Amino acid sequence: MLHVLYKRFLVVVPMLLGVTLISFFIMKAAPGDPVSMYMDPSVSLEDMQQIRENLGFDLPVYKQYVLWLKELCLGNLGYSYVTGKPVFQAIVERLPATLLLSISSLVVILLITFPLGLICGYKKDTLVDDSITVFSFLGLSIPSFWLGLMFILLFSLTLDLFPTSGFMDPLLYDASIFQKAMNIGYHMFLPLLTIVVGGIAGLTRYNRFGVIKILAQDYIVAARARGISEFRLLFKHALKNIMLPIITILGLDLPSLIGGSYIIEYIFSWPGMGQLGVQAVFQRDYPILMATILFSSFLIIIGNMIADICYAYVDPRISRGKERV
Amino acid sequence: MVRQKICVVFWCICLGILLSCTQSTDKQTLVMRLGAEPSMLNPILSTDAPSSSVNGYIFNGLLKVNEKMELVPDLAEKYTVSEDGRRLVFYLKKNVKWHDGVPFTASDVVFTFDKILDSNTNTVRRSDYIINGEPIGFEAVGDYEIRITLPSPFAPLLNRLTMGIIPKHIFNSEDINISEFNRKPIGTGPFVFQRWETSQFVLLTQNLDFFDKKPTIETVLLKIIPDNNTALVSFEKEEIYSSGIPGKEFPRISESSLFQTFQYYDLAYTYLGFNLKNPLFSMPDIRQAIAMAINKKSIVDGILRGYGTPAHLPTSPEMWTYPKRSFSYDFDPEGAKSLLKEAGFVMNSRTGIFEKNGDPFQFKIITNKGNKDREKAAEIIQGNLKDIGIDVSLQLMEWSSFIAIVNSDQDPKDYDAVILGWSLGLDPDGYSIWHSSQYPKGFNFIGYQNETVDRFLELGRVTMDRDKRQGIYQTIYDEIAKDVPYVFLYYPESLVGINHRVKGLSEAGPTGLFNPIENIYIEE
Repeated sequence: MLHVLYKRFLVVVPMLLGVTLISFFIMKAAPGDPVSMYMDPSVSLEDMQQIRENLGFDLPVYKQYVLWLKELCLGNLGYSYVTGKPVFQAIVERLPATLLLSISSLVVILLITFPLGLICGYKKDTLVDDSITVFSFLGLSIPSFWLGLMFILLFSLTLDLFPTSGFMDPLLYDASIFQKAMNIGYHMFLPLLTIVVGGIAGLTRYNRFGVIKILAQDYIVAARARGISEFRLLFKHALKNIMLPIITILGLDLPSLIGGSYIIEYIFSWPGMGQLGVQAVFQRDYPILMATILFSSFLIIIGNMIADICYAYVDPRISRGKERV
Repeated sequence: MVRQKICVVFWCICLGILLSCTQSTDKQTLVMRLGAEPSMLNPILSTDAPSSSVNGYIFNGLLKVNEKMELVPDLAEKYTVSEDGRRLVFYLKKNVKWHDGVPFTASDVVFTFDKILDSNTNTVRRSDYIINGEPIGFEAVGDYEIRITLPSPFAPLLNRLTMGIIPKHIFNSEDINISEFNRKPIGTGPFVFQRWETSQFVLLTQNLDFFDKKPTIETVLLKIIPDNNTALVSFEKEEIYSSGIPGKEFPRISESSLFQTFQYYDLAYTYLGFNLKNPLFSMPDIRQAIAMAINKKSIVDGILRGYGTPAHLPTSPEMWTYPKRSFSYDFDPEGAKSLLKEAGFVMNSRTGIFEKNGDPFQFKIITNKGNKDREKAAEIIQGNLKDIGIDVSLQLMEWSSFIAIVNSDQDPKDYDAVILGWSLGLDPDGYSIWHSSQYPKGFNFIGYQNETVDRFLELGRVTMDRDKRQGIYQTIYDEIAKDVPYVFLYYPESLVGINHRVKGLSEAGPTGLFNPIENIYIEE
């Protein structure tokens, strides 16, 4: 197992290099640059050209990439072209809000979808299954920007239960940690609810499918024939196998935990990574873009590795299979 | 026992939530909205609206624009302009201190403009202080006098002297492009910077040492709320005290006693611009026919819900150069058809499209994706032109791709017509948009060429007298309106709602309402 991991880890560096190289060239091939965003008759083309030179856009693209890579090796991710802020700082200051929202929504979604999926799969094609499916699909099909706004209108404006948007009350910055945590939780309720409603359907379907597939397998039929109770059958014999596809999805989902959701952040003024990344694309803020690409590709690779380890843990057939090879 | 413990914990949590939810908002706290994260709180580097809003509270220029859009001294006590318009002398106020307590002097002013002119500074304001390739000279005489020498007279300069002055003692030893003081600014203005939480808010407090009338407002909290709908709900919930109001909500908000509403013209217009180098649009009659075929009133009613007015000139009704009477082509589809027939077009009764030498009259309008008003305007224009027999196709483009076509150096450029808008400065100078030297490189991307307009644009820049300039710009507007290089579509109105507790507002206008901020107070 360790040997496999070691080998996988060695591949990470060239893979990352490849990803950054391709992204850098695609980014540069796209029309526009940070300076061309000024479409203002009071701005002269000479000034725009001067800024391009100052930022090194007049150099050949491969040289720009080498310079970026050199700085990266020295531990410098550069400065945002738009705000002049160190890229590392720009990312780090947005990470907590993103992680808080994405991890809590993932936990809530898992807590809801796992039993739902089990029920749906176990009670396949019954009224319960159909109703859960209909409701979860309803959640999936409602666009989150609309749902978010409706929640704001209902819970914030009409019922006056929650604030419309934001992360924490500005006047609480010197308050106790407990007060801050409570206030953040209070602000987080509506964005969390919006994500959860939209996110239930997908995982419920995966779980349901997993349960149906596993319950149809011979060993389950055999276990049933031996007279094992349904509870034991489901939770002792089927559960681990049902988790396999979920692990794959969660592994692939890791970068999105960090990536944040632009729409949710935009509607609820949540200070997360989603807004940073999307704005960087629109503004052609290359240093921020490169850093986010680097970060998320690293996480995709790591996510896959973690998923592999979890596979081996949950399904012994996988690691044994590799040992035989 | 366990149940009791759970109950206690539950009620503790509820109490905690309640306690943390009740924030004691100071009664003299003005809570405003920023539509996006500011880029940099440094007036010489930033160009985005949120940064300018915040900078307005923190920095001062030599001059400022008052609520009537007039220039008045700010950091300057008074100023003089020599008869030939080439020498300006500014006498500075002596009681001005930076927010860190250091006295403000003439060296700060010289430093600010030197930094702008320094090619290492990533600013797009450099050309504002360069005339015919020569930089304007800024010289400090003692601590409180600035002499400005121009290579030639330049009327728009005075407006450009509203540029916020930055502290020399702070930026002298810093790389200004990446300095941390761009995120914790030190200025001379009525409010002192306290805190900026990324994507959340900017907090400012009253400057007790302010050199002018001290503001009544003790704290300004600028909340960053990117979504307009969320901002409107926040405004209705009184979480913010001011918000732009969409047209369809304006009557409802206006009726509420909780809010005061205002409407005024922006310094902006939206237009359909022709590529004049395209043979199709090289004849003025064709452009005139298109202008007569477009129902601007239906665009204003359909898109702006009547909150705006059809445009005929390259200026704004709020601008002092806006003429009392102006030349315009009115909506007349039959007249438009006659013009096309006179130009040699023949209607193909089978297709319903005009043709010339067997070629149907068709062209493509491009505009930027995401601007719903422009997208809808394009559709209305498409329908209007189809009605008279012109086949128009539309293409919505991502901003960068759009700009790459419009701003390309090639001649002729690769487009037929564009829908765009211009935001105007406080000076009527339209050199960069209309002068023939600004093509193909520059903002005259339609390739407009008119000797009279060129001459008067140059004259407008060197004439200092306001009445004379008014005459000059009247001539320019008339010439442009007759030539129809653009079909001017509409002047949009700003619809603003302000909480009823906010008092001391000025008359509504592009520089009004909260200007001067010192007059604003919150009623209990």
